[in-house]
Amino acid sequence: MTELTEYLTPERVVVLKSVTKADALGELVDVLVATDGGVSAEELIKEVWKREDLMSTGIGNGLAIPHVRMSGIRLAAMVVGVSRAGIDDYESLDKKPVHIIVLIAAPEGAHETYIRMLAKVADVLKEDTLRQAAIEADEPATIHRILTEGKA
Amino acid sequence: MILAAGANGGPGLQLLLVLGGALFLGTVGARVLRWLRFPQVLGYILIGLVLGESGFAWITSHMIERLSPFNIFALGVIGFMIGGELHRDAFKRFGRQFIIILIAEGVAAFLVVGALAGVVTYLIKPDVQLATAVGLLLGAISAATAPAATIRVLREYKTRGALTQTVFAIVALDDGLALVLFGIASSIAARLLHVSTGGKELTMIAGLLKTGQELLGGVALGAAAGVGLNWLLRRRRDHDRALTYTIGTLALVIGVSARLGFDTILASMALGVMITNLARRRSGSTFEMVERFAPPIYVLFFVLVGAHLHIGAMPTVLWILAGVYVVARSGGKMLGANLGGRLASAPAVVRKYLGMCLFCQGGVAIGLAWMASGRFRDVMLFGDVNLGVAIMTIITATTFIVELVGPPFVKHAAHKSGEAGLDVTEEDLMVSYTVADMVDRSAPSFRRGDPVAVILRTIADTDAETYPVVDGEGKLVGIISLAHLKQSFGAEGLTAWLVAFDLMEPADDTVTETTPLADAVEQMKLEHLDCLPVLSDEADGRFVGVLELRRIDRILSQEILRRRQLAEVST
Repeated sequence: MTELTEYLTPERVVVLKSVTKADALGELVDVLVATDGGVSAEELIKEVWKREDLMSTGIGNGLAIPHVRMSGIRLAAMVVGVSRAGIDDYESLDKKPVHIIVLIAAPEGAHETYIRMLAKVADVLKEDTLRQAAIEADEPATIHRILTEGKA
Repeated sequence: MILAAGANGGPGLQLLLVLGGALFLGTVGARVLRWLRFPQVLGYILIGLVLGESGFAWITSHMIERLSPFNIFALGVIGFMIGGELHRDAFKRFGRQFIIILIAEGVAAFLVVGALAGVVTYLIKPDVQLATAVGLLLGAISAATAPAATIRVLREYKTRGALTQTVFAIVALDDGLALVLFGIASSIAARLLHVSTGGKELTMIAGLLKTGQELLGGVALGAAAGVGLNWLLRRRRDHDRALTYTIGTLALVIGVSARLGFDTILASMALGVMITNLARRRSGSTFEMVERFAPPIYVLFFVLVGAHLHIGAMPTVLWILAGVYVVARSGGKMLGANLGGRLASAPAVVRKYLGMCLFCQGGVAIGLAWMASGRFRDVMLFGDVNLGVAIMTIITATTFIVELVGPPFVKHAAHKSGEAGLDVTEEDLMVSYTVADMVDRSAPSFRRGDPVAVILRTIADTDAETYPVVDGEGKLVGIISLAHLKQSFGAEGLTAWLVAFDLMEPADDTVTETTPLADAVEQMKLEHLDCLPVLSDEADGRFVGVLELRRIDRILSQEILRRRQLAEVST
C-alpha cells in the first residue's frame, strides 16, 4: 500500500489520448470536474495554467505534477493521466517527454494537505520500476492498482 | 454617651445625621466640581454653603461650634501629611537650587501680598495694627500652592524638563513653607491685635516671647511626640495598632498644643517631619495609612468650612481685598520665582515661567484661613465683618478665581517653555502616526515564481517572520510565514520544483498606509501577528511594504529617547 490510496480513486485514473500539454491538462481537468463538481473546468484550467506560467511542473524522469489551490474545490483530490507515447511540449526540468501527469487540486485553506500530497506523489513515483510499470499498463484499473499498492 | 443620646434622639443623633449627610452630599458636590475641572475641595465647600446657614441651615452654627475640635483635628492631619513630605532626601534630591527658589517665591508672595493688602486695608480703615495683621495673614496664606490642578495640566500636556521638575518640587514643598509663615504671621497678628491675652497689651519683649513660645513650643512638642511615636511604631509592626498609635499621637499633640497655647498645625507638621525622617521606610506605610483614613475627615472639614461661610453678601471691601490678593499673589509668585531662579542660576525657562505655574491654591490655604477665622473672629475689620470671616471669605472666593485662571497660565507656560509633549509614552506617540510612517518599504518580498532556492537564501539573509508574495503588477497575492514554511519541508525532493506561489498562504490580514498606527497595532495584537503586509490606499491595493511590531517599538523608543534628551538639555 502506498500513501496515495487516501486521495486516488480508480475513476480518477485515465490513459491519456492527448499528445500536447494543453490537451492533456484539459483532459485531466475534465475528469476532476466530472467527479468533484465544485468548480467549472474553465476556472480550474485557468488556475492550473497560472501556475504553469510561473514555472513548469514537469519535474523530470517523465513525471509532471501540476497543482492548484482554489476556493471552489471541496476536497483535496488527485487525477492521474498516463501517456505511453509521452508529451513532448511539457517543458519538464530535464527536457524529456512527460509520461505520467498527476494533477493535484486542493481547497484554498488546505495548505498542509496540499504540500503533503505533493510530497507523497513525488516520493511514491521516484521509483523507476513503479513508474515504468504504470506507463506500460494499458488499463486505468491496473495503473490505479500499481500506484496504490506500490507494486509493479 | 452616644447610646444615651441615640436613645433620646437628642442632639448627638442629630449630629451624626449631619455628619453622614455632609459626607455623602460633599462627595456628590466634589464629583460635580471635578467634572467642571475645579478642585474637589471647592465642591465640598459649595455643599457646605448649601447645607449651612447661607442655604438650608441644616448645619447650624451651633453644630459647627460643637464640631470645631474635629476641624482642628482635620487641620492637624493636613499638617501631619505636609510634614511627611519634608524628608531630607527630598531636599537632597531637589537640591539647593529648589530650596532657594521655593523660599524666594513663597517669601515674595508673602511680602507683596502682605504689603499691598496691608496698604489697601489701611486706606479703607486707617488702623496700622489691623492693616498689618491683614497683610500678615493674607501674605502667609498666599505662599501655599495647590498641586492638584497644576500637576493635572502638566500631565495633560506631557511636559518634561527643568520647569516641570521645578514645579513638582515647589508645589510639594511650599505648603510646608506656608504653614511656617502662617504660624509666625498668625502669632504676630495675635500680639498686634491683643487676641488671646484678654485684650491685655504685652510689652514688645513679652510679645516676642509669646510668639516664640507658640511656634517653638509647637515644634518641640511635635518633634518630641514624633520620637515617642517612632519608638512605638518600631516595636509594634501590625497595621491596625500602628494606625491607632499614629492617630492617637496626632490627637494628643493637637490637644496638648491647644491647651498650652502652641501652634497646633506646626506641632502636627513637626510630628510628620520627625516620623518621615526617623524611619524612612516604615514611615511610608504610616503616611499611606493616614492618607487612607483621611478622606472622610477632609470632606467633612471642608463641608463645615462651607457651612460656616456667609457668602450671601460679600461686602465690596472684601471684593477689593480679594482682587488685590489675587493680583499681588500672582505678581509676587512671578517676581519671587524669577529672583529665586536668578539667585540659584536656574535655566531661563524656570525663571520665566515658574511663577505662572504657581497660581492655583486649594485646601491648605482654606485650612489656614479657617484657622485664622477662629482666632480672629472677635476682631472687627469693616463694619460688622470680623477679621476671621473676612480672611475666610477672601481666601474661599480667591480660590475659585485662581483655580479658574491658574490652569490656563500653566498651559501657557508648558507650551512657551517648550516642555509640552516631551514626556510622552509609546501610546501617546502612536496616536500621532499612521501606518505610512512606520512601514518598512524595503522589506523582503517574493515574486510568485521565485523558486525555493531563492526563498531559502532570502530567509537566511534576512530576519523577518513573514514574507509577502506579489504578482507581476506588484499586487499582494499571499504571504509566506516561517512557521508555515517549516511544514512544507517535511518531505525532500520538493525544493527543486516548488515556487513561492505553491508555498504561500492567503493574506487575510492587511492594512493600508492611511490606517492609524494605533488601529494597526491593535489588530496585530488581537490576531497575535508580528507583522502585517501594507497596501497602498488606492483602489488597486498595491503592495507597499511590511509593518512590523519590532520596528514600531524601535522607532517609538528612539523618538521617546530623542524627546527625553531634548528635555534633559533644558535641565
